Amino acid sequence: MTAPPPGQTPTTLLCIGITLAAYVLVRALYLRYRHPLLNVVALGAGLIIAALVVLGIPYKDYVPAKDIMTVLLGPATVGLAVPLHRYRMLLARHGAAIIGSVALGSLLAMLLAAFLAQLGGLPREVVMSILPKSVTIPFAVEIAKIYHGVPPLAAAFVVATGTTGSLLGGWLLNLARVSDPTARGLAFGTVSHGQGTATALMEGEQQGAMAGLAMILSGILTAGFAPIVVWLLGFAPGA
Amino acid sequence: MKQTLKALCQLALLWAIYAACDWFVGATGAPVPATVLGVVVLFLLLLAGIVKPQHVQDAADLLLKHLVFFFVPIAVGLMEWGGVFYEHGPVLLAAILISSVVPVVVIGRVSQRMQRTRKEAGQ
Repeated sequence: MTAPPPGQTPTTLLCIGITLAAYVLVRALYLRYRHPLLNVVALGAGLIIAALVVLGIPYKDYVPAKDIMTVLLGPATVGLAVPLHRYRMLLARHGAAIIGSVALGSLLAMLLAAFLAQLGGLPREVVMSILPKSVTIPFAVEIAKIYHGVPPLAAAFVVATGTTGSLLGGWLLNLARVSDPTARGLAFGTVSHGQGTATALMEGEQQGAMAGLAMILSGILTAGFAPIVVWLLGFAPGA
Repeated sequence: MKQTLKALCQLALLWAIYAACDWFVGATGAPVPATVLGVVVLFLLLLAGIVKPQHVQDAADLLLKHLVFFFVPIAVGLMEWGGVFYEHGPVLLAAILISSVVPVVVIGRVSQRMQRTRKEAGQ
């Protein structure tokens, strides 16, 4: 992080102020209505972009503010080990079912997304950004970076997937006659990360706990499988 | 005051684990995000009892409650990528829909089958 040039500091402070205001506002809206379409990331970023356009602030002037605000992201993500440890009994009891289905699901989600994107002729950096779209944003952004994807695009695809899964997941699982609460929770968490976990929690506590566990595991497994999928992509049409 | 100090010490511990993993990934060039490695390391330290939940949980819970905040400024970067959605919208939509719908159904069916098999085996 380089020191901002003189005259940049007020803009940076303004950008931080706008971001905090947008976050507080959208979070309050979400907590009130709890609808999957009221996504804090998508709606918050939308409001900020609108404000920057109106104020005539280009993206490069927003970057120092972004760098300051995301300083704690690394340690915050490491904190995900705490809920994982909290649910360790659940993991011990349903270990094989959880790891087996989460592994299968994450691999399938990654393969389908990347192969379809490549087949559709998307540029390589977009394909690498869509690859980790089923995992929670902190992991997705980092996985995309390793393969030269674009972090904001990765975040956008994660939100799109989370919203799709939250909106359609319950209906799809009913259609497939999946009634077991553990199975429903795993499906929500593996495919739709945090947004799916929030939706699973509304179905019940067991669904929510399983979804939270699946979300973290699918992040770890997706990072592990990514090199294999990227290697396989080299043999697929469109490469 | 004491609470704040405690949370700051916990944050320092989380930071140290992240920094160590970040250094390791940088030094070895391992194709794994430092954050993923950090979660695994902290989980193992917690399982081994070297780190106790009370050494990290206040800071972790507070940060996780607002984890989504960090992605708001990251997503603002989309400002520069609007063209991708304009140009490739249908392909992106199809890729995201199909790769979400199929795994939801597969995971649901497979794990329900595994649960039933286990119950029938009388576990």
